[in-house]
Amino acid sequence: LLLTGCSHGTADKTLTLAVNAGPEGSALKAAAREWGELRNTRIEVVELPYSNLFEKESLDLQSRTGAYDVIMLDDPWFPKLVADGGLTPLPREPDADFLPSCLSVCRHPFGSQTFYALPYVGNSQLFFYRRDLFEKYKLSAPDRWEKVLNAARTIGAGERIYGYVMRAAPGNPAVADFMPLLWAFGGDIFDAKGQPSVASPEAIEALRFMIELGKSAPPGYAGFNADEVSAHLLQGTAAMSINWPAWIAAMDDPSKSKVTGKIEFAPMPSARAAGVAELGAWLVAVPIASQHRDAAFDFIYWATDAGQMTQAAQRGNPPTRRSVFQSPDLVRTFRAFPAQLAALEAARPRPRTAQWNEIENAFGVGLSQANSGAISPEVAMQQANREIAAILERGK
Amino acid sequence: MNAIRRIPPGLIWVAPALLVLATLSIYPLLYLIKVSLTDVHGFTIAYYARLFHDRLFGVAVGQTLLYASVALALEFLLGLALALLVDSLAHGRALIRVGILAPMLLPPVVAAVIWRLIYNPEFGVLNGMLRQLGFNTASLTWTSGRLTAMLSVILVDVWEWTPFFFLLLSAGLQAIPAEPIEAARVDGAGYWRTLMDVILPLLKPTILLALLLRSMDLLRIFDQIFILTQGGPGSATETLSLYIYRTAFRFSNFGYAAAMSFIALTITMLAARGLMRLMRLR
Repeated sequence: LLLTGCSHGTADKTLTLAVNAGPEGSALKAAAREWGELRNTRIEVVELPYSNLFEKESLDLQSRTGAYDVIMLDDPWFPKLVADGGLTPLPREPDADFLPSCLSVCRHPFGSQTFYALPYVGNSQLFFYRRDLFEKYKLSAPDRWEKVLNAARTIGAGERIYGYVMRAAPGNPAVADFMPLLWAFGGDIFDAKGQPSVASPEAIEALRFMIELGKSAPPGYAGFNADEVSAHLLQGTAAMSINWPAWIAAMDDPSKSKVTGKIEFAPMPSARAAGVAELGAWLVAVPIASQHRDAAFDFIYWATDAGQMTQAAQRGNPPTRRSVFQSPDLVRTFRAFPAQLAALEAARPRPRTAQWNEIENAFGVGLSQANSGAISPEVAMQQANREIAAILERGK
Repeated sequence: MNAIRRIPPGLIWVAPALLVLATLSIYPLLYLIKVSLTDVHGFTIAYYARLFHDRLFGVAVGQTLLYASVALALEFLLGLALALLVDSLAHGRALIRVGILAPMLLPPVVAAVIWRLIYNPEFGVLNGMLRQLGFNTASLTWTSGRLTAMLSVILVDVWEWTPFFFLLLSAGLQAIPAEPIEAARVDGAGYWRTLMDVILPLLKPTILLALLLRSMDLLRIFDQIFILTQGGPGSATETLSLYIYRTAFRFSNFGYAAAMSFIALTITMLAARGLMRLMRLR
């Protein structure tokens, strides 16, 4: 009894979190420590690199080990993890301040009213471009893809730098940089009947355009990932790219960037259809095997309320709440917030299928091969279409 | 009592080792085969049937064999040459050995990260040096080039694992008695003749061991390619281990990954057996 009395103030339970090793995860980690002190709960954080986080979470959820009480997940993983029955439905609906695009990826089935996660980081692609060079060459803002191509050629010829830089390494990188083009050219991965449609004339035209744009990109871009793209922007050796909000801070950081204050951030350019960015929100959810579900839910609602999200935004995380995006103090600090909000409101999620990882891999290999010149755009898209159809067939 | 007497006495002494072998090797192998032949409905050969239609699996097998054979040949020839060279030196052998062995001491992931920086077409030291020497490096994209990606990853392997051959063959050379070599020289054999007819035949068991160990390692190459190219561009450097990893842990298809793993194991065993037979013929 004496010992129990002495232990007053020490935590009697532990909440274990699986988070992404990166700025998104750091903010959640800091929030968890604060919550742990408030609720007298010990916090254990398992920090994993992006490439390992999914496999650890997937294995844990499938085998119901209960190793994690709260997991942080990228939104394309959600359909697979929830389809395996590993996530707990939310006890109450999220409030209306969350952006609809961010909330849409927390529902299962897609479009239903049942929520299994809360959106924590409001990530969607943005278009990064060198404002100073656009002014120098009297180019209008890159709000259409034809203008982007024209600007890439003009700047490339005039400045001896690369007019455009993109990711075309197989898998996620190539697909992520292609999706805004595919949507802008009127194509999509699936048609209205749910059949693969990447061999459509619109999709092939979008890929041809990507390859044309690639002529203004650094050689070898077919093997590029985010690091290479951002290195080119930061070093001032490329003028434009699609990128993610996590890189905004680095662009204006003199210790990392040679182009501080020169990069402008804009929503995706349009073509036949309006410009659409790919959504890449980070969500927080509670595994069904968690031993501390009440505490876990208490934490995720607390961490995503407006006050905590404001703090997370100050730590560098794009919010998922409209009120936080529109906070005058934050807009003064983060000049890209208006563009981020516009991009996020129009952003589209990747197809909501449990087989997305496999589809993205097959599609990304074709895109990367076409960009490296190994096969033609037509062959790449027909090959990808066949493989996506086979993946869907196997999943039935 | 009679039944106990019939147990060979040696069996009791090797029983713990057999138990460890059964637990750590035989059971996982049997489990792998079971997973590859089972789906949610029960017994199936669908995963093995799929292998025949899977274009990427064929590409991955072909490229794994290409990678392993080219890297093995280069590492062996370079390792042997270095071992013979260092063995012939009168002074400084110990110091040179330490220098040559250094790449092998690095974890493969660290070596791959270093080479990723070296290969960077714009900011890497390799193209930087070539530019200083007056070469046009505009199209030299190394790991990102369709035609250069495989060569680039093989070169990293050769850089890191040639010391392995050097280490084993150096030890083998030191174990060769001096008399046969001196006898050959007395008989008038030149260096080349002595090497081919005396040194290499005596070194044969060591060569076999080194080739066996390295070929098994090369056939399951994963870490370097994962860091350097992720199998790209396109599928230019996709290997079997990488494809198995993706299938199991990214696509959560453990049955198909198990079927591919079993095929990978079979390929490795056949390669090892072929190598042993080849060495026995000489």
